[in-house]
Amino acid sequence: MVPVVISPRYLAYDFGPDHPFTPRRLEMLKSLLEAYGERPLWVEPEPASREDVLKVHAERFVRRVEAASRGEAGADLVHYGLGTGDTPAFPGMDEAARALAGGTLEAVRLVATGKAPRALQLGGGLHHAQYDRASGFCVYNDLAIAIRWALDEGLRVAYVDVDVHHGDGVQWIFYDEPRVLTLSLHESGRYLFPGTGFVHELGRGPAVGTKLNLPLEPFTEDESWIEAFEMVVPRALEHFRPDLVLVQSGADAHHLDPLADLLLTTRAFRHAFTRLLELAEAHAGGRIAFTLGGGYSLDATPRVWALLYFLVQGKTPPEALPEAWRRHWEAVLGEPLTPTLEDPKPEFTIPRRAEIERRNRRTAERLLVLLRDFSPPGKTGSSGSSR
Amino acid sequence: MLVKDVMKRPVITIGPEATLHEAHRLMWEKGIRHLPVVDARGELVGILTDRDIRLATSNLRENPLPCDAKVYEVMTRPVLTADPLDPVEDAARLMREEKIGCLPVLEGKDLVGILTGIDLLDALIVLTGATRPAGRIEVLLPDRPGELTRLTAFFAEKKINIHSVLTYPVADDRVMNVLRVETLEVRPLAEELRARGFEVVWPPEKPWSR
Repeated sequence: MVPVVISPRYLAYDFGPDHPFTPRRLEMLKSLLEAYGERPLWVEPEPASREDVLKVHAERFVRRVEAASRGEAGADLVHYGLGTGDTPAFPGMDEAARALAGGTLEAVRLVATGKAPRALQLGGGLHHAQYDRASGFCVYNDLAIAIRWALDEGLRVAYVDVDVHHGDGVQWIFYDEPRVLTLSLHESGRYLFPGTGFVHELGRGPAVGTKLNLPLEPFTEDESWIEAFEMVVPRALEHFRPDLVLVQSGADAHHLDPLADLLLTTRAFRHAFTRLLELAEAHAGGRIAFTLGGGYSLDATPRVWALLYFLVQGKTPPEALPEAWRRHWEAVLGEPLTPTLEDPKPEFTIPRRAEIERRNRRTAERLLVLLRDFSPPGKTGSSGSSR
Repeated sequence: MLVKDVMKRPVITIGPEATLHEAHRLMWEKGIRHLPVVDARGELVGILTDRDIRLATSNLRENPLPCDAKVYEVMTRPVLTADPLDPVEDAARLMREEKIGCLPVLEGKDLVGILTGIDLLDALIVLTGATRPAGRIEVLLPDRPGELTRLTAFFAEKKINIHSVLTYPVADDRVMNVLRVETLEVRPLAEELRARGFEVVWPPEKPWSR
């Protein structure tokens, strides 16, 4: 059975009632799995230690988080991305952020040490947190902390990010580290936060060719997203041959998401999760860990992540949502919810559809050409086409 | 943004008595297209481009010059130049009007830098890009006093930092404002701006998700 890492401490990572990154998403997900009668092996992780955090973040930044966490208002907090509209300070934020990081560390440790073939962390995925700056709802970068631990164990890590926003924090933290492949599919930074993640961001020095980005057009739908995924992800993982795959499974590329502009349905997510499991089997000895991430539609997000849960467990996802669960949350939220786990076939009218598909295909082609130009044949640590 | 902020230095130059062959080899080795010509006293006396060499030596012209022709026979003079303290837009306008690819930068008589079309493209990338995590929002404002203040006050009220602002006039006495703002929540902000009567161009409304 695949362990599921979760802690009640995660619920303390809470920016307040009107903030989109709400722990309600976790409550809905956990109660949904329970309503399905699922009894997985729950694992409660220890919080990451201060030392774990300092392997990735500047101490001057960690000191600010700790001060903000104690409720001290420092004038310079805003220079560290704290106390802003996106990432307001709250009491206990240091402990809450370390709890999430501890879960991702635990999931990666379970897989790396062979205690579990794969693992699912029901939280984390705070991919925007930078070396010395909180950003975009993210305080500590749990993904980078876990990847750093794996590097110190001598492992090569492939990081795949399907969140609708560019996985900038993880990319920049490992920008000159050739033993970490980062691969992010997202809505183009020309339009969306954080404004980066273009194909020419390929890594620095010995790491050139190990940082890959697929910036996709606003209003991209399933078919085009899957096409871009298939053009790049399989060959990148095949070429890089990681010891372990870590996936940030943000659900905000879904068409119901209020913060972004991609138009995916559960079909694209199902494809991505299924293929990543297969690709990990083929190229990483099956070692793969998943975290959550962004996802701000309270209708779509729990369904995408429940789908992830069933696929990771190797189970066939059920079709319907448990009636009682749906009625309960419809009453709490005061709005109707989709009655099936997977989306009904959507009918969008996208006048630019053909153009969007063509541009996405060209973006994937440009990335592959750049990789061929930058990857000396036979050089380890680089990825891409081996032609 | 001034010329000194975007120009390249030190400048690779050539003497007027050098041959076209030497000039061509220097351009090829350094991967450049423009050579300011500087005489023995260090004074700028001309400018030589890769196009000048190609046209002068082309077999397609009636009397092509030989490879050992001198730089001074082919160079352009007098040279149009820029001052380090010129605004970048003035330099860009001069290059555009004269249809030239570079401006040597003179401080008095000293050659202190060179500005090429590529440097202007770099400036454009800086002006339009994000060097810190930010989202993009585009708002059309009426071209009259106080409108931009109304818009920026909205972000100040939300405690959201504005990373960069790019504005340009469009038709009907209106100004397009492209803002890079340090927030993930551009969509909800756009809705609120619309509710307050602003004309938000990006992000657009998504009718199907209502």
